Amino acid sequence: MIGSKRKSSDIIIEICAFALAVIVVFPVIYCIFAAFKTHSEFMSPALLPESFGNLNNFRNALSQAPLMRYMLNSFIVSFAGSLVRLVFSVLAAYVFAYFDFRGKNVVFFLLLGTMMMPGDILLSTNYSTVSHLGLLNTYTGICIVSFVSASQVFMLRQKFMTVPRSYIDSAKLDGCSDIGIVTKILIPISRSTLITLFTQSFLTLWNSYLWPLIITASKPEYRTIMVGITKLNSWEDSNYELVLAGVTISLIPSLILFVIMHNSFKKAQ
Amino acid sequence: MKKRQKKTIILFLAPIFIFAVLFSYYPFARIIINSFSKVNATGFITGFDGLSNYTYVFSRSDFGRAVSNTLLLTLLNVPVTMILALLFALLTEKKSTLGSISEFLFTLPMAISMSAAALIFKSMFSPDLGIINKVFGINTRWFQDPKTSLITVVFLTVWMGIGFNYLLFLYSLRNIPKGVVEAARLDGSRGLGLIMKIKIPLISQTILYTVITNLILAMTCSAPMIIITQGGPSRSTTTLLYMMYSSGLGSSDYGLAAVVSIVCFVLTMLLTVIIFFATRKKVFYR
Repeated sequence: MIGSKRKSSDIIIEICAFALAVIVVFPVIYCIFAAFKTHSEFMSPALLPESFGNLNNFRNALSQAPLMRYMLNSFIVSFAGSLVRLVFSVLAAYVFAYFDFRGKNVVFFLLLGTMMMPGDILLSTNYSTVSHLGLLNTYTGICIVSFVSASQVFMLRQKFMTVPRSYIDSAKLDGCSDIGIVTKILIPISRSTLITLFTQSFLTLWNSYLWPLIITASKPEYRTIMVGITKLNSWEDSNYELVLAGVTISLIPSLILFVIMHNSFKKAQ
Repeated sequence: MKKRQKKTIILFLAPIFIFAVLFSYYPFARIIINSFSKVNATGFITGFDGLSNYTYVFSRSDFGRAVSNTLLLTLLNVPVTMILALLFALLTEKKSTLGSISEFLFTLPMAISMSAAALIFKSMFSPDLGIINKVFGINTRWFQDPKTSLITVVFLTVWMGIGFNYLLFLYSLRNIPKGVVEAARLDGSRGLGLIMKIKIPLISQTILYTVITNLILAMTCSAPMIIITQGGPSRSTTTLLYMMYSSGLGSSDYGLAAVVSIVCFVLTMLLTVIIFFATRKKVFYR
């Protein structure tokens, strides 16, 4: 009796949650549907486009701005940035996990201290640093500020500490170098953590806006996709279906990465 | 052997520390120095300037507005994001098939970039073409009316924050030991009482963490204003970092940019400290 009552209340809760979830993702659904609409369809309140065969908005968006070039820029910057960040983190995490030295705690807190300073507050001085280094409008300039991630070092250190000390010690006795230990033992063992961290930081860099905006202000061909789509907006203000087609294009990689991340979280759970 | 170890430590730590100094510690020290200096349009310091950058910024008419808008945005954004995320997490706490779809959908906003979301919200809340006005049969001017513009920005920032907050709340709720909840049930705790007296105190550490991260994000919010409102209409959405971007970077006024950044940093720190002290007896550390 009580069991069946509990069940029906559970079902009501599940349905409520699902309805709320649909409202939460509504903006994304709206964006994708609108990208297939003609201008007159967009003016009508119907949610669904008449057909998903209308690709004119995508064609127009791609011809109005070099979105594919922007995607390539984003890809290069996100890939390089995430890779360098991960390499730096692995090296630092190895030292923090397996070495004891004087001032280790101070050094570790100095690294964690970078998390206390929100990047956006440092924007003006980082901008002048990058411009004095001659890196404005370059790929390096866009990703150079994101090489340090204290939280990544922290998580990798935790992961490395789960590797039995005896593996490391016996490898050392066999004459294995530190680089060898990292590449032959630690990286293979923590492969799934590394992939998760890489995907996460790729998505963050892919989605970043403010820094790429100011760094590429004078050379549009170095814009990233997230900066590029906002420029579709200023040209034709009322042509939202074109803007949303551009947004939909930019969302494809984000959504793919998100699904990968979601699955890896699920597995980790 | 010892020497080799020392070499490894230095070699492995050098890359991350060089960049941490170059792009975190140095720029932080530099905004403090810049705020007391004459800085030319290319970012070079040309002389000591005392407090004149500060007096200049504090006397500007848009500064007070930027402070109050930033605080208001934070004050609205943080609690609303957290209450919604917590509600969604409580509703999907129990695992089920439909629940796992809902879970996926609730976290999905995490994948969307601020600029993409800003463009979507701009079109949804467009007064003449947007779906919101059409569906509800109203003609509110949302982003274009100084009375509603900041609230509409909050809709956007709340939406952006929900996914991450939800995920953290969901995991911490599911990590509550089963026995604790069972024991409370046996003692007669049900429904809202169980949530408020048992579950929320048990995840208070996560709640504190999300308050702080949401606070920092809200205090440093600028992208929606750059993309949608340009700080308007009539400065109703000018926040501190938007001011730093438009009046500082936009006109190469590094002195102003430094002062505004410092004000934003100090306010954020101050709020963080206040929250830590106000909650130190209420947060339960497991």
